[in-house]
Amino acid sequence: MTTTATRSAPEPNDPPDGTTGALAVNQLRKSYGAVEVLHGVDLDVQPGERVALMGPSGSGKSTLLNCICGIEPADAGQILISGADLTKMNAAELERTRRESIGYVFQSFHLLPTLTARENVEFPGQLIGLAARERRERAGALLDQVGMSHRAEHLPDALSGGERQRVALARAVMNSPRLVLADEPTGSLDSVIGDQVLELLQTISDELNIALLLVTHDTDCARICHRTVRLHDGRIAKPD
Amino acid sequence: MPSFVSSPIWRVAFALLTKSTLRHWGQAKGSYLLIIAIVALGVGSLNGIRQASRAATANFGLFNEAISGRSDFLIEAPAGPIRETQLPGLAPLSRQPDWHLLPVIEGPFTQVSADGEPQRLLRLIGLDLVAVANLPTFIDREFAFGQAESRWNDWVGAAPRVWISSSLAADSGLKVGDSLRGAVGGRMHELEVAGMLGDADNPVPEDLLIADLPAAQAILTRVGEIDRIEAVVNDRAARQSPARMAEIEDRVRALLPEGLVFRAAAERIAERADMTAAFRLNLTILSLIAILVGAYLILQALDTAVVRRRAELATLKSLGVGQRALFLTLMLESLLIGTLGSILGLGVGVLLASGAVHLLADTVNALYFATSVEAIRMSGVDIATGLAVGIGFSLFAGLLPARDAMFTPPAQILSRGDWSPGFVWLRRPWTGLALVGAGLLCLLLPPLPLAGGARLPLGGFLAAGCGIIGAALLSGQTLVWIARACQRVAVGAATKLALSRLADGSSRHRLAVAGLVVAVAMVTGMVQMVGSFRVSIERWFDVRFQAELYVSERTAGGASAVNGIAPEVLQAVTTGPAVTFADTLYISPVGAPSGRTYLGGVDLGAWSGRVAQIWIKDPGALAPAADAQPAFISETFARRFDLMEGGKITLATPTGSRDVTPIGIYADYGNEFGSAVIAAEVWKQWIQADRAINTSLYLQPGTDANVVRDALRLRFPGLEIRNAQELRTLALGIFEQTFRVTSALNGIGLTVAIVGLALGLFSLFAESAGTWATLRRIGFPAKSFALTAGVEGAGIALAAWLSGTFVGLCLGWLLIYVINVQSFGWTLVWHLPVGAFLGLGASLVVFGFLAGALTGAWHRRGLS
Repeated sequence: MTTTATRSAPEPNDPPDGTTGALAVNQLRKSYGAVEVLHGVDLDVQPGERVALMGPSGSGKSTLLNCICGIEPADAGQILISGADLTKMNAAELERTRRESIGYVFQSFHLLPTLTARENVEFPGQLIGLAARERRERAGALLDQVGMSHRAEHLPDALSGGERQRVALARAVMNSPRLVLADEPTGSLDSVIGDQVLELLQTISDELNIALLLVTHDTDCARICHRTVRLHDGRIAKPD
Repeated sequence: MPSFVSSPIWRVAFALLTKSTLRHWGQAKGSYLLIIAIVALGVGSLNGIRQASRAATANFGLFNEAISGRSDFLIEAPAGPIRETQLPGLAPLSRQPDWHLLPVIEGPFTQVSADGEPQRLLRLIGLDLVAVANLPTFIDREFAFGQAESRWNDWVGAAPRVWISSSLAADSGLKVGDSLRGAVGGRMHELEVAGMLGDADNPVPEDLLIADLPAAQAILTRVGEIDRIEAVVNDRAARQSPARMAEIEDRVRALLPEGLVFRAAAERIAERADMTAAFRLNLTILSLIAILVGAYLILQALDTAVVRRRAELATLKSLGVGQRALFLTLMLESLLIGTLGSILGLGVGVLLASGAVHLLADTVNALYFATSVEAIRMSGVDIATGLAVGIGFSLFAGLLPARDAMFTPPAQILSRGDWSPGFVWLRRPWTGLALVGAGLLCLLLPPLPLAGGARLPLGGFLAAGCGIIGAALLSGQTLVWIARACQRVAVGAATKLALSRLADGSSRHRLAVAGLVVAVAMVTGMVQMVGSFRVSIERWFDVRFQAELYVSERTAGGASAVNGIAPEVLQAVTTGPAVTFADTLYISPVGAPSGRTYLGGVDLGAWSGRVAQIWIKDPGALAPAADAQPAFISETFARRFDLMEGGKITLATPTGSRDVTPIGIYADYGNEFGSAVIAAEVWKQWIQADRAINTSLYLQPGTDANVVRDALRLRFPGLEIRNAQELRTLALGIFEQTFRVTSALNGIGLTVAIVGLALGLFSLFAESAGTWATLRRIGFPAKSFALTAGVEGAGIALAAWLSGTFVGLCLGWLLIYVINVQSFGWTLVWHLPVGAFLGLGASLVVFGFLAGALTGAWHRRGLS
């Protein structure tokens, strides 16, 4: 189903063509001191499209992801999220973009420990000032979608790894972002639970038309994506 | 609610406060209750001392106020009492219908038990009771005393009768007609209780003793004298009108005879308040130090909380929570801690004040003037001050952790482990150097003159504050140097690991050292000052007090609560067969160019030879000025009036302005206002008095002083007669009492700093959780774990002790040679209690090791 750095043939899950992409990275360069980590990376992700980003350790995957979510500034190039250029934004605008346009799924979940599962999902909505009722309804629906309604009032400590990642998934899409960045989302889970989480990611992406950039070492994870992009020494590898 | 509260940042901060912060509080109730208790203790110390010192000094005012109501104006002699010969001049004033004149005499009366032991100090007020009974203010009070007005002729001129407070009657079991036994001026008196004053609705001070004016004059052996005349305006509505009061004041001034001075009654209260201004200020500064150290503890505790919530903060950053929202959340947490702690502290303050008030009253009695304790009251200003200080210091303490939280990176970066701690500036020396430099510059500031003649060594205090904090910030480098030196000889993996961490000198290591340095420096400095003071006083005692017996009036109060020894009693005491020489001291407060001071009368010839002194300038070393009375002056007097190299000063005495010129300067640790002594005969002429304050008896060689003492005690039960050892014990007792508050605050400061070290270690180890987890996985044994953590704790304590001792030595120098000299004008012998320093160091290192080992073990248990 997936190819390397090429879009797959049109299938039911193929992304719709859009005039404005969910993510466009143009000639992105990033250095740490004298060492250039990203050498002019280009990457486009369309709304609803799922792209796997693979590459060996030290290839620059994490740096690229951090630049895309505005945590690390790029030295040169452009990063457009739904048409808005991150490289031109100030700190407050970057924070707002992270709140409103990007969802993030971590390998180690990073749920807020004092908040229940429902409150964790509601929290991004609170950040953007969503009305309490709307927040509750949406969080309830998302928890239902990820199969966690029955654990909604539990604290993260009381949840298993798979359950935590489901809650994290719901939290990532709470504010209906155009783009979800998932960094090894199954890295802390066993294969069975990992598969369930991947299926959820796929379902949510399809149902909510959310673009997904999935960073992984595992080729099996890439099966839910429309295409795979390989990063090697800070450059997008040419397709085989 | 202000509109900004609904802004996104505030909304997020409030959400985080309720959903995260308060839930963390719920999970660690003990820790947060402790932090709130620390704020409460700090606010309580400050407010408690404020309220206690106010209650202990408030009752020095016009004791007859409880009976006659507040007076509006006072007529007094420029110095000393008003003579009855001056009263005819007041006739035009007394004929005015707008005010009543009320002559008053007051003095101490020591209640004595049946077996002759002093029980309590009472204030005997002599009033013209007929005049009092006619006062409009008096009629309102409805005292039983007023109802006896119709029979006033029964008691005028009768045997001494007194009215006592109902509370004293209840405490002493006295009834109307009973006899109240007591001593005044060295003589015993039996006074008949004529009635009780006051009840729950009209309370009067417990120590109030009212007598008719002639009776009081007789008891106080001051016939023909009154202390002041109080003027009470009849039209009480006029008091509310400044214009009307000014008009009355002008009329009183116009009618005032020569030789008497006029002032508003409120000025007298203010003058007494001025006398203790420095004392109260010192207490306030000490209590502020306590709360400052408390703020450090709050800082450490909040920092620990931030470190423990680091991952959560990082996640929040990843979710798009901004820096300002995180900063605001942490500051709101500090605000909440400060508010809760301050409210609790207001209550703690009342409790502490209740405990400290008698201690402070005793100190004020011993050092300044007769006072008694009144009920502890919390004013609106106390509440505002407590809340402002508690909340202010909590917010100040929360700044660094909040700033640290603000700079927490998003989870993506934190998990990569390449983030450096937020207190990076602590690793740079500039702030510390700037503060030390500012402190040195502050030393150039002259002392600030306070009303009443006291001086505030503002520059010294600022230099101490800047120097301590600046040096504390620099002291982290000591830790690095010690660790690097030890690394060369270290053996064993655990020790090497600990030393490598210390040698790295992280910001948190430096913060832990800095906090402890402040406490060690403060304790070391204060121990030196108190020790130096004690050594100086002991040396002074050894030289100054060579007589065999010391005689003074028997009172339950301190040195200031005396009426003086009646001349015939003095004559009898000093002319006994065993006495070869009596060094008699007469003393009186007099006016000085700034505030007031004391003028004494002695045998100047004996002082130049037989009576030993510690001379700062030997008798005759200073050339006397022409047309001025030669005097020996105390060092405090010399420094206060700039007479160290001689000169002349004009003093206001009851007989007019008089010039004195120093011919020698002696050490005297008796009072901070200074004193000059002239020939006794001249003193009697100038002051128009003949009651001595004390006399020292030099006995025939071979005489058993205790036998003479016992014989004198039997003959003069109203006198206090002590041998040299007893006097020394008494004086050192007063000294210990004076510094008890200092010692208590020192203890609080050190305890708080040690708890701060433990909290600092918690932060350190929490921040190193990754390292500990790795070590555990590679099989690092539990013992080695504890050893590593223990060595870290001990290293921090050792570095803090070395740096703190150095800073403390500088502080000791500052306290002794700058602050003490500027405040009190006396030079102390610098005493270094080396044993105490070493003991403190050893205790700190042991505690540091134990705290480190236990904290490390606790963290290890929590590792997965």
